[in-house]
Amino acid sequence: MFKSLNVTARVFERQIVQPRPSASVNSVRQFYENFVPSCTIYDIDCPDISFRKFTDDGKYLISFSRNHQELIVYRPTWLSFSYKGEDCDSDALSQRAKRFDSFFIHLYTVSLATSNEFICKDVFLYLEGLEFGIFATSTAQTHEVPATEGAVNGVQCVEKIVFHLVRLEDGFILDEKVFCNDFVNLTHSMGVFLHEDLLCIMSLRYQAIHIVQIRDSGNLVDVRIVGTFCREDDELFIGSHIQVTEGQIFLSGIKQRLLSYIFRKHWSEETDQTLRIQHLKKKFYFHFQDYIDLIMWKVQFLDRHHLLIKFGSVDGVVSRTTDQHPSFFAVYNMETTEIISFFQNSTEELYYLYEQFCDHFTASSRSSLHANFISSHSNNIYAFDQLCVIKNRASSFLQFVKKMVTSLPYTCQSQSPSPYFDLSLFRYDEKVGNSPLTQVP
Amino acid sequence: MAFLMGDWPSYDPQNFSQIRPSDPSAQPSKLTPATYHPTHNRTVPPPNQVITTEARNILLRQIYQKAEDKLRPKRAATDLLTPEHGCKQPRGAFSNDP
Repeated sequence: MFKSLNVTARVFERQIVQPRPSASVNSVRQFYENFVPSCTIYDIDCPDISFRKFTDDGKYLISFSRNHQELIVYRPTWLSFSYKGEDCDSDALSQRAKRFDSFFIHLYTVSLATSNEFICKDVFLYLEGLEFGIFATSTAQTHEVPATEGAVNGVQCVEKIVFHLVRLEDGFILDEKVFCNDFVNLTHSMGVFLHEDLLCIMSLRYQAIHIVQIRDSGNLVDVRIVGTFCREDDELFIGSHIQVTEGQIFLSGIKQRLLSYIFRKHWSEETDQTLRIQHLKKKFYFHFQDYIDLIMWKVQFLDRHHLLIKFGSVDGVVSRTTDQHPSFFAVYNMETTEIISFFQNSTEELYYLYEQFCDHFTASSRSSLHANFISSHSNNIYAFDQLCVIKNRASSFLQFVKKMVTSLPYTCQSQSPSPYFDLSLFRYDEKVGNSPLTQVP
Repeated sequence: MAFLMGDWPSYDPQNFSQIRPSDPSAQPSKLTPATYHPTHNRTVPPPNQVITTEARNILLRQIYQKAEDKLRPKRAATDLLTPEHGCKQPRGAFSNDP
């Protein structure tokens, strides 16, 4: 609700009126109604680098060199300027405002990639409290993929992928995590997810979810790997108790959990003993091989203990269009190693969760103040209206549901928490203008 | 209402002129609101109760709720005739009359 054009009055009100309990961030964000960018400066000479993103706290501007091997970080210094009179236009601005270095101070340039590697521009995750950044470098993709034991056939292979943890204050590379002959989907950082201090990396080739903790000291510590084994001591237990003969392969731990969940679900759906077997045959055994062939595509944290895993077929990973291939979602509890829920991408139940609780899929931590205000159709009536319009216009509800849930699992830090994108404060046309990155003419 | 409003300016001086305090000698500061004491102890919270926020977020609560509903085996029709729930108890004689 727009309060007042009078900035002075709002500042005085802020001095004397306390915001409602737990609503101080709301008050801060509402103040942005009075401060809207109204002037664009064109034709500024910028260094020839590729700008990536401002950090959400506004402290750093992340950019990469044109050869994708160096990280260049700037400190935004917002130029202050005062003008007496009305209708200040860009001609009145001093010459200083037309220079790049009036706005940004170059902090450092750090080389992340060696000769045959390059930085994946899409991957940048920011830990707000510690001011750490996560970047990724990789070598080129190899096209002839040898079939390796434990690797899924049909998934691409990259010789070396390295995740770097960088302290953004001074550019010091704190730690690295290396993946050899593996494949992590780094396009739009889909293969990684950061929640508080936990990072999960989806290794598609070996079908393993690596959970890594980022310590305050800057170390990357392996917490667990979910995939072949679920509990930390599974590998030890199997090694010491079971003699695995040649050619005898166990299904991976996560697959076993999934199959047992599906079995128990269908078992409990039918109470009559004789009909139960028929029901199981139809629902479970008939599709058994399809379930076995499923692979994990994408993963996100729902909280510190729960993962939302998207399953699909091997063909779906490689192809761009995922519409033809059915996909499934499973909620997995890492502590109890149980699957809690399993949905197909066309189920109404999954759509209901997406419609009502979309903002909880961002899994923002409580310490990150503005991230909890990212507008979505679950927390904003205008966005919900827009969703309803699309829903009513859709010719098939099934297709509509499938289209909506393709955005799950959520891609970490893909939406800006800026108040300018807050639908309760501003209205904007998403199709006009660039994505929320800095505009460089 | 001189003792409550004082000499504050008023739009109409006749406002509130009909109101008289019930007890002219009672000072406002000594008026305490009536307190109510419960006549039973059925709703007393347990002595070691601590109220905290739910750690699990609402999305996960919904998912768990639905999962429990699904995995609970559905009762056959004959079972529903005999009430097994303990939520309704036969009313006994009152023992808490003061």
